[in-house]
Amino acid sequence: MSWIHIIFALILLPAIATGMFRILRGPTAADRMMTAQLFGTCGVAILLLLSAGMNNPVLLDIALVFALLAALATVTFVSRTWRDNNKNNHGNLIQ
Amino acid sequence: MIPDHHFLRNSTLLNVNRHSLLRIFIFSAVWLTLTGSDTSSWIIGVPAVLFASKLSLMLAPPSQCLVSVSGALRFIPFFLYQSFRGGLDVMRRALSSQQLLDPGLVSYVTLLPEGSARIFFVNTISLLPGTLSAELHENTITIHTLDRGMSIWANIQTLEYHVAALMHISTENKKGL
Amino acid sequence: MEILYNSGTLLIIMGVPFFWSGTVGLIRFPDIYTRLHALTKADNVGLGCIVCGLALQSGSWTVTAKLLLIWLLVLIASSASCHLIARSAMQKNIKPWMRS
Repeated sequence: MSWIHIIFALILLPAIATGMFRILRGPTAADRMMTAQLFGTCGVAILLLLSAGMNNPVLLDIALVFALLAALATVTFVSRTWRDNNKNNHGNLIQ
Repeated sequence: MIPDHHFLRNSTLLNVNRHSLLRIFIFSAVWLTLTGSDTSSWIIGVPAVLFASKLSLMLAPPSQCLVSVSGALRFIPFFLYQSFRGGLDVMRRALSSQQLLDPGLVSYVTLLPEGSARIFFVNTISLLPGTLSAELHENTITIHTLDRGMSIWANIQTLEYHVAALMHISTENKKGL
Repeated sequence: MEILYNSGTLLIIMGVPFFWSGTVGLIRFPDIYTRLHALTKADNVGLGCIVCGLALQSGSWTVTAKLLLIWLLVLIASSASCHLIARSAMQKNIKPWMRS
């Protein structure tokens, strides 16, 4: 148990929480999605710190999955959701 | 452009094998990193590595991704230093009490050929200080800059030069550098 | 070992303000493009500092390699998704904020 890592993880946690204001304020869906990206990078950093602090290497794998999922979420969002009100882009995802 | 042994160069079969072996080696290294020294994990690892190598050869043929080692050795320090400066620059603008932003759009015509080099260039621009690649049309990149007073051209040109060196592309004759 | 450990701690301390300025930028900056700048650049540098710090402290090659792999993945993912979001915003004709 190493307290210094856990303390730094706790300092990073409110950085994510503050990012939630952007979800409330928007204005576009992409602004809200950027908070998800913040969750990705910041969450990875917190998991890495916790993994060192609690001496638990499994958390490293969780961080890896987090990084992968954050990327997939943004790509899916951009190619599917955020195009729906564009008229001629249906079925033309790679452009 | 690859430093190759003379007797290998003319044989496509051997070339393909050499590329496949390289990919298999890279993916095995990734698997080893992911799973650690557990030998039984290779029951899944061997098929996964072979499948990934086959898939990557199909999606990205070797002709498109020749990376030069000396180019990489020069690119990595440049990239690390510039992205660190980019982070510092954003930190200064975000935390200062005055409004330090003066954003605008500029366009840049790149000499890099279509394909992985251009994509790589577009993606790395976003991590340089003050620049973000917003759109790519043919060879024109629309760049969003945080501060129109900032000198970004030298940086982008150096980056382009480094990417060209990394990918074994010569731009010297076209550009007259 | 003490020196490695302490310089690792120093790097971790350096990384934290970058994350915070990324969040502050995300809240404070006026439009989607400037927020993207804040998010991608600051967070990647912050994660880089923390990864390097933890790698110095870990003292094991496998952990270091895994940390670097995670960083590389986040780097690729965030620069690609940053470009994707900016491009869609341009295609939707969202005008960048200008200083008036």
